[in-house]
Amino acid sequence: MKTKKEGEAKARSKVVVRHLPPSLSRSDFFGQIDTLFADRCSWTSFRPGKISSRKGQQCSRAYVDFKRPEDVINFAGFFDGHVFVNEKGAHFKAIVEYAPCQRVPKRSPRDSR
Amino acid sequence: PERPARVSKVRPPLYQYIRKLLFSDLDKSTIEHVLRQLRKLPWRECEAYLLKCFMKVHRGKYGQIHLIASLTAGLSRYHDEFAVAVVDEVLEEIRLGLEVNDYGMQQKRVAHMRFLGELYNYEHVDSSVIFDTLYLILVFGHDTAEQDALDPPEDCFRIRLVITLLQTCGHYFDRGSSKRKLDRFLIHFQRYILGKGALPLDVEFDLQDLFAELRPNMTRYASIEEVNAALIELEEHERTASAEKASSASHSDAEKRSSIRTASNTSASTN
Repeated sequence: MKTKKEGEAKARSKVVVRHLPPSLSRSDFFGQIDTLFADRCSWTSFRPGKISSRKGQQCSRAYVDFKRPEDVINFAGFFDGHVFVNEKGAHFKAIVEYAPCQRVPKRSPRDSR
Repeated sequence: PERPARVSKVRPPLYQYIRKLLFSDLDKSTIEHVLRQLRKLPWRECEAYLLKCFMKVHRGKYGQIHLIASLTAGLSRYHDEFAVAVVDEVLEEIRLGLEVNDYGMQQKRVAHMRFLGELYNYEHVDSSVIFDTLYLILVFGHDTAEQDALDPPEDCFRIRLVITLLQTCGHYFDRGSSKRKLDRFLIHFQRYILGKGALPLDVEFDLQDLFAELRPNMTRYASIEEVNAALIELEEHERTASAEKASSASHSDAEKRSSIRTASNTSASTN
């Protein structure tokens, strides 16, 4: 039997999907994964990228926390390396990694202020 | 030549107010007030902008970065979604900095290391995040074709990043497992440093200060051979230690073998 020592990491369940096209929207992204994974994730967050003429582009990113650590493997198998092609023909190869910080928001009480 | 007059950016009043709170009002004596005002904001409308402003720690005073970290921790009680986003965002910035390695981003990158360290000090991230970041800095892009662009042999900037993070929160790694983790990291760090060859004096002095502060009795190895021998000995030691308590298998090795890729072996191309 494995006893959980203090400070020992529990199985990681939060992933980050990077290098998504800057123009990809939240609904586009989740539209692609929802049919397979919608009921397997417990929390998601999406950071849209940006295309700016001066500073170049910023890729979009998504964070997904899965209910079960095994789903991370399934998801990575399904989505890691997935190639998006945008309207101009540029390729974006999505990468799936464990999020460096595994924290997921707790439900906050409503701020009464 | 004809040139259109420069138009200054006009921000909505709400954004102007947020900027005033964070960039001019905020100091040690007003932080309670600023926190209260931030809580009163219409969060639905301005959460994204607030996140953007929190990431601009490099625009403010270096000595004030801890105030932004304190605000983050203070807001986590009511807006944990936001507080988690701050951490994810800082870690992304650090990663992006390693991928792009743009000289113009250096000041920002140092500020973000400081910010991460302060988030640890305010108990908003745990030590594993700090150590993962430290190791990421040592190995990112190494053994790939881009190594010379991402971490040129004469470039000491990554040493600066490590120094900054450890100056900020290293003194807390003085007992228990985090003490062991820092001991172990510092040997890996020494190997990285020795790989750089002769260091500029300012970097060397900062390193001496860092070691004097954190581990005054630690050996500074003089050659790659010595430090490699020390690492082999350390691994040997860890193996016997983990064999003794067979239940807790070496967790960091297990991570490296995992089937999901980790940041260190991802190619850094940004298309």
